[in-house]
Amino acid sequence: MENRSLLQRLIAKPEFGPLVLLVVEVVVFWSINHDFLSPLNISNTLAFTVELGLIALAMTLLMTSGEFDLSVGSLFGFSPVLMWTLFNAGVMPLEAGFVTALVVAAIIGLVNGWFVTKLKIPSFLVTLGMLLVVRGTALFVTDGFPQRTWSAGGSWLAEILVGDFYVGPFRIYASLFWFIAAAIILGYVLTKSRTGNWIQAAGGNPGAARARGVAVDRVKIGLFMLSSVMAALAGIISSIRTSAANPNSGTGYELEVIAMVVIGGTALTGGRGTIIGTVIGILILRIMRNGIVLIGVPGLAYNIFIGAIILGMMALHSWLERRHQAGT
Amino acid sequence: MAEPLIRMENIRKSYGRVQALEGVNFHVNESEIVGLLGDNGAGKSTLIKVLSGAVPLTSGDIFVRGRRVQFRTTSDAIAAGIETIYQDSALVTQLSIARNLFLGREPIKGPRFLNRMDQEEMNRVADALLKQVGISKNIPPTTPIGSLSGGERQAVAIARAMHFDSDLIILDEPTNNLGVAETQGVLSFVRNARDSGHSCIFIAHNIHHVFQVVDRIVVMRRGKVVADDIDPKTTSVAAVEAVITGMPELTGGAPVH
Repeated sequence: MENRSLLQRLIAKPEFGPLVLLVVEVVVFWSINHDFLSPLNISNTLAFTVELGLIALAMTLLMTSGEFDLSVGSLFGFSPVLMWTLFNAGVMPLEAGFVTALVVAAIIGLVNGWFVTKLKIPSFLVTLGMLLVVRGTALFVTDGFPQRTWSAGGSWLAEILVGDFYVGPFRIYASLFWFIAAAIILGYVLTKSRTGNWIQAAGGNPGAARARGVAVDRVKIGLFMLSSVMAALAGIISSIRTSAANPNSGTGYELEVIAMVVIGGTALTGGRGTIIGTVIGILILRIMRNGIVLIGVPGLAYNIFIGAIILGMMALHSWLERRHQAGT
Repeated sequence: MAEPLIRMENIRKSYGRVQALEGVNFHVNESEIVGLLGDNGAGKSTLIKVLSGAVPLTSGDIFVRGRRVQFRTTSDAIAAGIETIYQDSALVTQLSIARNLFLGREPIKGPRFLNRMDQEEMNRVADALLKQVGISKNIPPTTPIGSLSGGERQAVAIARAMHFDSDLIILDEPTNNLGVAETQGVLSFVRNARDSGHSCIFIAHNIHHVFQVVDRIVVMRRGKVVADDIDPKTTSVAAVEAVITGMPELTGGAPVH
């Protein structure tokens, strides 16, 4: 009896569906091609997964508060360009360029948040506009050419962000630990802290939250800033790891990140969010991209699978929701 | 006579050229349930919005226990002990009962910088409050508001007002869209709140619900208070209806004013 109710409670969790899908995915890919679980493949997949994942974690909180941010992909491209340009031009050392890029990102997030909360413009329009402004700036400043990046070896900043080492046969980047730390901290904030209660209330019923004295606007602005800074950090990490700073990089990432978040079980309409779900969602999409190539499906077909997963997951969530409501 | 809990004097409110309130005097005593009646457009909602800080008044004074107050926002009114419960709008459906009860005032556990909610304490208090307000079913405090019935939601909102020592709980149409049993539940929550020392303003279209629960009836018509001391125990429903519409009553009964 006790066991059964435990199982039922597990199934009722929004993370359960995505988790099953992730397990199925891994089993299917592995049974078709055993190389899928080879240390080399796991190491390669993880390296980029955690970079996109950093953005998805911040986006989870933002979407729980009822907003989303389409400008993250452009910040992913713009921030490393800014950092390298400042460094290459001799304006400042790399570390100062890094801090400057994050501060600029925070200001961009502040502007996004200000437009959304004070001017009451939907975040879709505000961040779409910001996407074009930021991407346009990156392209204009660089004339559309990739920036010169020096091989980052030797810089302590690069070591901290993406220094790599081997654990047995696995090549691990430091960014993995940044991702894990961010997931733990943001998961804690969302579910255990007062701020998390305010974030959920801001997305669920902003009027009610305001009436209880919750500073809804401040919560949302803070989350827009977090989202921008995480996107900048992810872009810089990626740029140092690949020794490239292309003003076009990150194009389309905003939609992939939002897909990761909603597949994990966070509501697009706000009020409900799960960091664990997002981590699962991140893995589902990145493993899918990696796996279909490994089993011989043309990489160009990737989007078909992603689209099908999104549709399937949304159908599952809506079905679970209705069943759950009917049961009580 | 003792100073009332709430005293509103000569309240005027105009929206552009429309006079919604034309010099209203209104008061609520300690531990009293006041029924506020009036037809659509009589000014009930505007009066309540002024009292709950949702709209600014054009002129007039509000006193809480004899002290003059000014409400710029609903938070000001809540801080002064005036809690308004609108159906549905005051709760976050995705959050649990306990999280709603403490929204904005969550207790903290452990070091301050961790900002950690004391969820055990919240659940414990919520459980006790639900029993105090008189909810009959055994509902765990971790239940999301979304899976509660309309009457149970009212109970949660009333419980919250009671816990945070709101002196005055304003209930705007609390029995709308509720079934018979649910309505009786809400009326008993209101009585329990009064019996534990809270005052209430009870607004409802259904005059029979008002008669069942209030100590005194105030009637508004066209932005003015036309009767403010009707005793529901000695007055007929028909007589009150006559005051509301301003028409002479057809079926006799005790004359009012």
